[in-house]
Amino acid sequence: MSIAFKAITTRDGKGIFHLFPALCKGCGLCVEKCPVDTIGWAKQLGAFGTPVVEPGHGRPCIACKKCQLVCPDAAIWIEKQAPQERSDRLTSNDRKSR
Amino acid sequence: MAIEAQPQMPRVWRAETKPHKFCPGCGHGIILKALGEAIDALNIQQRAVFGCDIGCSLLAWDFFNLDTIQTHHGRTTPVLVGLKRARPELLAICYMGDGGAYAIGAQHLVSSVSRNDPVTIIVANNTQYAMTGGQMAPTTLPGQKTETSPYGRDVELTGRPMLGPELVATIAPSGAYVARGTVANVVQLKNFIQKGLSNQLKGRGISFIEVLSACPTNWHTNAAETWHFIEKEMSKFFPVGELRTPDGEQRQEVEHRGRQP
Repeated sequence: MSIAFKAITTRDGKGIFHLFPALCKGCGLCVEKCPVDTIGWAKQLGAFGTPVVEPGHGRPCIACKKCQLVCPDAAIWIEKQAPQERSDRLTSNDRKSR
Repeated sequence: MAIEAQPQMPRVWRAETKPHKFCPGCGHGIILKALGEAIDALNIQQRAVFGCDIGCSLLAWDFFNLDTIQTHHGRTTPVLVGLKRARPELLAICYMGDGGAYAIGAQHLVSSVSRNDPVTIIVANNTQYAMTGGQMAPTTLPGQKTETSPYGRDVELTGRPMLGPELVATIAPSGAYVARGTVANVVQLKNFIQKGLSNQLKGRGISFIEVLSACPTNWHTNAAETWHFIEKEMSKFFPVGELRTPDGEQRQEVEHRGRQP
């Protein structure tokens, strides 16, 4: 790929959410398709001067990649986060205390 | 230096022309992403020729790293049939809207289907003529408001929505692949397009895939209403699924022969 796009990377739940503001047109199709409603509107502006999307608005991301699938502009890329890297992961001590 | 994250576009997409020219939320982007992934999966980038029609579909003229031609009013099909006859080793992909394929270009579609030309036709059905501002098309749903039907489509006066794949499935000779997909189910859509392309690769006959697409700009809908219209309203009149598969025909023939004494 000769052209490079800059990503906004957010870690949320099980996923690493890469969003490319130069591609996102703010259509909101991903917001409606998200099964855990984690995607919402961000402060940054996208390709058409409309708000881009970001995770962290509902329950944590489950990395189902539905938003990546329905995005007409390929502006979203979801990577699965390794369990040891997750900030919300319970340690063995947490489990014992419950 | 670590490699920075880059968009997961299909390899056949032309990244320099992105973001593409379609409106926010347009179904064309989703269909062309599924088409790009199907081309990547079959590894036919060097052999495929992409033809787009007049209407919003012409905005795909610089979408792919493929040889591309743009024609008018449904003539994408005869132009690419000519190409296929001259160079049978190439793969012809005709990409049209419902206006080009069903309204003014229906003659080309019907002739091509009755000849069973080995090309792949993909039609985006968004229930109106989107590029000219959302006028009523043959596929407009009963009661749907458009620029030229401000009180809703009157079925007494203007008829019922045209069912393209059903028409093609009725008149196509054996070896045809006919299906209807939707942008609400991208995995299934990619599967249909891939089957349509491999039908052409095997040289069995025509492949026709209609896709229920979205036009939020002319429907005047937000994202939630757009999904509701595609998944609930459109699927009432346009059932999604495969109508004709060459494998199914063969299976039926074998079963039929097996039953004979």
